[in-house]
Amino acid sequence: MAGVTSRRLNGAVLLVAPFVLVFAVFGVFPLLYTAWMSVRRWHLIDGDHGFVGLANYARLFADPDFYHALGNTVCILVVATAVQMVLSLWLAVLLDRATRGRALWCSVALLPNVVPAVAVALIFAQLFGRDYGVVNWLLKLVGAGPVNWQAHSWSAYLGVAAMVVWRWTGYNALLCLAAMQTVPRELVEAAQLDGASRWRVFRSVTLPLIRPTVSFTLLMSVVGGLQVFTEPQLFDVAGLSGTGGNDRQFQTVVMYLYEQGFGRWDAGYAATVSWSLFLLCAAFGVVNAFVFRRPRSGAGP
Amino acid sequence: MRQRRTTGLITALWTVLAIVLAGCADTGGGRVEIVVATFGEFGYEPLFTEYERLHPDIHLVGRVSDFDSHHRDLITALAVGRGAADVVAVEEQYLPRMRQVKDKFVDLATYGAGDLRPQWAPWKWEQGLAGPTVLGLGTDMGGLAMCYRRDLFAAAGLPTDRDEVAKLWPTWDGYAATADRFAERSPGAKFVDSAGTIYTAIVNQGEQNYFAKADDSFIGDTNPRIRRAFDVAAGLATRKRTAGVTTFTQPWNVAINQGAFATITCPAWMLAQIKQSGGAAGTGNWDVTSIPEGGGNWGGSFLTVPAQGAHPREAYEVARWLTAPEQQKALFLHDAILPSEPAVYHDPAVLGHTDPYFADAPVGRIFAASSDQVRPNYRGLRDADVRPKFGLALGRVEDGTQSVDAAWEQAVREARETLRWPG
Amino acid sequence: MVLLSLFPLYWSFVMATHDNSAIASPVPPLLPGGHLMANLTRMFDTVDFWAALRNSFLVAGIVSVANVLLSTMAGFAFALLRFPGRDKLFVAVVGSMLIPNQLGIIPMYLLVGALGWQDTLVAVIVPGMVSAYSVFWMRQVVREAISADLVDAARVDGCSPLRIYRHVVFPCLRPHAVVLAMLTFIASWNDFFWPLVVLDSNDTPTVQVALSRLAGGYFTDFSLLLTGVTMGTLPVVALFLLLAGRIVDGVSRGAINR
Repeated sequence: MAGVTSRRLNGAVLLVAPFVLVFAVFGVFPLLYTAWMSVRRWHLIDGDHGFVGLANYARLFADPDFYHALGNTVCILVVATAVQMVLSLWLAVLLDRATRGRALWCSVALLPNVVPAVAVALIFAQLFGRDYGVVNWLLKLVGAGPVNWQAHSWSAYLGVAAMVVWRWTGYNALLCLAAMQTVPRELVEAAQLDGASRWRVFRSVTLPLIRPTVSFTLLMSVVGGLQVFTEPQLFDVAGLSGTGGNDRQFQTVVMYLYEQGFGRWDAGYAATVSWSLFLLCAAFGVVNAFVFRRPRSGAGP
Repeated sequence: MRQRRTTGLITALWTVLAIVLAGCADTGGGRVEIVVATFGEFGYEPLFTEYERLHPDIHLVGRVSDFDSHHRDLITALAVGRGAADVVAVEEQYLPRMRQVKDKFVDLATYGAGDLRPQWAPWKWEQGLAGPTVLGLGTDMGGLAMCYRRDLFAAAGLPTDRDEVAKLWPTWDGYAATADRFAERSPGAKFVDSAGTIYTAIVNQGEQNYFAKADDSFIGDTNPRIRRAFDVAAGLATRKRTAGVTTFTQPWNVAINQGAFATITCPAWMLAQIKQSGGAAGTGNWDVTSIPEGGGNWGGSFLTVPAQGAHPREAYEVARWLTAPEQQKALFLHDAILPSEPAVYHDPAVLGHTDPYFADAPVGRIFAASSDQVRPNYRGLRDADVRPKFGLALGRVEDGTQSVDAAWEQAVREARETLRWPG
Repeated sequence: MVLLSLFPLYWSFVMATHDNSAIASPVPPLLPGGHLMANLTRMFDTVDFWAALRNSFLVAGIVSVANVLLSTMAGFAFALLRFPGRDKLFVAVVGSMLIPNQLGIIPMYLLVGALGWQDTLVAVIVPGMVSAYSVFWMRQVVREAISADLVDAARVDGCSPLRIYRHVVFPCLRPHAVVLAMLTFIASWNDFFWPLVVLDSNDTPTVQVALSRLAGGYFTDFSLLLTGVTMGTLPVVALFLLLAGRIVDGVSRGAINR
């Protein structure tokens, strides 16, 4: 018996070991190392200059640029996530009703997600160009003045959010669609027989049932939104050396991290920004789990 | 069947990995290999052949990439302590940063670079120093001139002859006044590409800018030159004389192509950019004249030897040879790369050089004259931390989102704030 | 909606068929022009695009195969096998899904440097071989598709977990594995930040690194850049269209399982 157990153990360990090994080295180690760097003065090129305690964190909490970046990130995230959720649900409903060629429509919806973020950013930055952009050209056609998209927070938020929405709406719609298809038809039909409108059926029957998926999509888009980098960075005309406009008006947290680490070579401080961002993500994950799991566990198996 | 397929996949995976790993192994040869990393167009390839002929024991390998990736690769290599080429070009803009980590480079003085000092214009030599350390040997330079559109000037009723044009702007105030005259007659085009290029030119004409030469203390807020440069440039921006396009970006290319602005401060290397953006159709539209208030320099590079290399002495020899007067002259004759050594740029071949694209302007003479007037321009150790703050401030004025005074105050505040923290 | 979804791609292609000055025309060009070949020639002159394609295929190929193998193996173990610390480990894996990608970039960079991997494709391959998301997904799939009784029975018969994996689990997971491989392939192909930091744009470019090179420099030629973007995206889009049905199915299956 003991022999069997140990053989089983060996087999199981053999199966997880490759993953765990690589994961430990390239997933966990950098995380812990970043934590260590964040309590030291660390120059990107010169390396470690010794322990500084919580000095980097004290600096971060008093750093207006960090709060500014955080504010920008949250604003972009809220706009992008809200639009994305509404559009994805709407698209999912349309796809759910489509009787013919659903696979084709699904493919078209997913296509933007295949395009690299870099390409998306370059294309959109061009579309939102001040002097020769397609968007401003369209605005001119309807009689509105050209907008200097990069110059103001609100317009830059819209531009960046547009990229995120474009890239992820189809993906999220498919997730919602899949969930919708698990909703028992009888429930929907029963509600319709009771004279409920389509909207009413969607709100009272479908939405509660697909809540776990919506919650997961929300979580993923918020976590993705907190980490948004490529889109806003390349939205800046100065590219990788840009700081999110002339007044940091659309600099996100990861852009700030990049500026500190690779622009100013202050790796210790960049690590501090990193860890703070991780804590924010984790906090959101916990809150999300708390808010969305409870009703579900109360309602069902 | 299925089993074999899975196992096959795993085997294939490790085989490929092994091949990839093996591919990275060093390939040895009898000769010492020296890798020379440059960006853009240094035109070194024919010289490599010549050097190998003179030194049969050396094998030179050129590694050319673009401006951004070149410097990023260098920084990566310095940070991880390996992977840098033996000889690496560093552009002026990155020098202040490299001075901060001068220990990562070979002090070329240890191989006798100090004796080479008289070769270069004094300001160029001093740029390559980090305190007493000789960090790099000068290659090209960016003597400042002013490029202007003859067709736009004619349309605005301004003179087009380059000497007459020079008389319009003996000073930057004269330049600003010309901008106003131009705007009255020519509402379609702007006078200058951006406030930033004018600002950079004026700042680079001074001996000190953000930091005091004496003790490296921050003087950006009190140095009258900085404030003046800021006011001149911001004044142009508030009066809408600038096209508001950031240098080297796509909108900037387009603006050149479309003739959206009439003048641009023109270091020697800018000529190639204008040609590229303007295209063949733009031949003869542009001309070159002198810049207000004497000469100046913007850009130009240096050859450095990272300390991590295996053959620093051989690398130094290569760098010394590539920057020697004979080679600088050859590069000029071949690729019109502006030398930074007075003996070379005063050579009749250089002085007599004209450029057909720029209405046959005597660019050799103009840039040589400009370089002769350059005074050494002290860059503080933290220059790279502070400099962008002022550029962004000008951008805010150009965007119309801030007043000149508010932008200035914010720039100074941000500069002071960033200096509070180690850089 | 379809129009919005396709327009940016279409527009990028259109720009790739014009020369750089067309971008500046007062009315944006909305129809293809005749400069595609010229742009392609220039692109191949500027960067070694074949090498970049080859490298990208190599990296994305190895990464996707390895990722699928490692995550199906680990997913199986997490789902149906018992070993010490299993649940704690799994919580750590799920938690790590919340970590921003850029978080560990500097330690990763030092690590890769210490291993002597920088400028080599290994530096992008090995870290890409694991993904918490894949393991999480495969664990769910295993739990749904394979009955614990079957595995227990096989173990009582003296089958080692490795054999069960080979003969029972992997064959069952194959459809999911294909989808996972595709999505991993696409993600790896599109990865930008890490390759840019760790690879050399001359010696070991991937497509994304080569693209950054088209964008870098003193001067940006946009039609050239968008030619690169179009050419760099084309292989993935083609692959995607080939397998679209399966991916669409698989992506939505992921949602059901959650």
